[in-house]
Amino acid sequence: MKMEEMSLSGLDNSKLEAIAQEIYTDLVEDSCLGFCFEVHRAVKCGYFFLDDTDPESMKDFEIVDQPGLDIFGQVFNQWKSKECVCPNCSRSIAASRFAPHLEKCLGMGRNSSRIANRRIANSNNMNKSESDQEDNDDINDNDWSYGSEKKAKKRKSDKNPNSPRRSKSLKHKNGFSVCTSASYTLPLLFSSSGELSNSDPFKYNSSSGISYEALGPEELRSLLTTQCGVISEHTKKMCTRSLRCPQHTDEQRRAVRVYFLGPSAILPEVESSLDNDSFDMTDSQSLISRLQWDGSSDLSPSDSGSSKTSENQGWGLGTNSSESRKTKKKKSHLSLVGTASSLGSNKKKKPKPPAPPTPSIYDDIN
Amino acid sequence: MNKDAQMRAAINQKLIETGERERLKELLRAKLIECGWKDQLKAHCKEVIKEKGLEHVTVDDLVAEITPKGRVDSSMNFNTCLDSCSYHYNQALVPDSVKKELLQRIRTFLAQHASL
Repeated sequence: MKMEEMSLSGLDNSKLEAIAQEIYTDLVEDSCLGFCFEVHRAVKCGYFFLDDTDPESMKDFEIVDQPGLDIFGQVFNQWKSKECVCPNCSRSIAASRFAPHLEKCLGMGRNSSRIANRRIANSNNMNKSESDQEDNDDINDNDWSYGSEKKAKKRKSDKNPNSPRRSKSLKHKNGFSVCTSASYTLPLLFSSSGELSNSDPFKYNSSSGISYEALGPEELRSLLTTQCGVISEHTKKMCTRSLRCPQHTDEQRRAVRVYFLGPSAILPEVESSLDNDSFDMTDSQSLISRLQWDGSSDLSPSDSGSSKTSENQGWGLGTNSSESRKTKKKKSHLSLVGTASSLGSNKKKKPKPPAPPTPSIYDDIN
Repeated sequence: MNKDAQMRAAINQKLIETGERERLKELLRAKLIECGWKDQLKAHCKEVIKEKGLEHVTVDDLVAEITPKGRVDSSMNFNTCLDSCSYHYNQALVPDSVKKELLQRIRTFLAQHASL
């Protein structure tokens, strides 16, 4: 009621302004008082000085505002071009690729190639000439790996060329494993034409080609029997297309085989006949001669014992094969005899062949 | 003068009733934090506390240091009020933009409720 009597419109502007100022001042004072209470409480509770830092630490974490650096003073892309030296193989690796390289180099990661470790372990085992169980285990491994290889062709996942499943059998350096590998390759060869178009039995995932430096000599040979294998100029990789791929001529294929396998390498024309479903004993003879070559030089990488198979390709064949051929000729002959019999019987069957030849090899060794 | 006092009281009452006073207060607080006024005062407080000693600081000390030294009371008129305001420590720290905006809002409020 009293408000109605005191109409504000009757006041002059200066008074209004004074009132406004007053109200404003009151508000500011209230804020100040509130602030004082806050500070006092903080002091008494002991948390008032908590956010204080000494000037030295402040300088350490000062915001950096220079071009090329982030606010912490770090250089962008600093580790991109840095190179580390691998302690295992003593190679200089780019920093961003160091971890995967170590994984494969040490053979301890999930995708690493454990073949090298297994090879060394197996060569040690064979040198000590352990019991039959060991070899049976290996045979079982081969069986399992062969089956998984066949299945793996159709799988789309994880076609890492270095995975242990790939061509496990070929990496064995035992004498008997030669026959197992031979018996595997042949059925695989025959089946390859039926089941595969461009993919090969060993699950190479590279679409363009394979880096031939990483392959052992046995793998190379088996590769060259099924694939074109011509090394591309710009990618330095082997062509994974079939033996009749239109991109490369037969001359190129012959040249590659000569380069890798020596002057007596089988030419693609002869090998292409192996892709057919039907085969004759004449073809098997050429196969056997090739396999004999396989068997004799098979031991050369294990002799050198290193994990680097690239050293053993071509050069190792020339130097070691002659010696090993003499010593192991008997063994390989036995193995080949065994495989020849198995070849006549089996074409695309599952790996039963290893069973008959191995006892004969065993007798020879022991 | 009585009338003025009454008027002021009435206005204040209106401010509180409508909740405008609270809103103005929150607005002022937010703006003061934003402009760094609070941090400046905090630094000043730290000095005072270091002077007086951490254990013996009282609210009164702080209030005396921080809030305006002279109080604005109804006896002062507008001009002297302004002069004394500008010398007060904390009020001097408040940026002009904040002050202007608040005054604007108060005037708006007064204009809205003028006929009441």
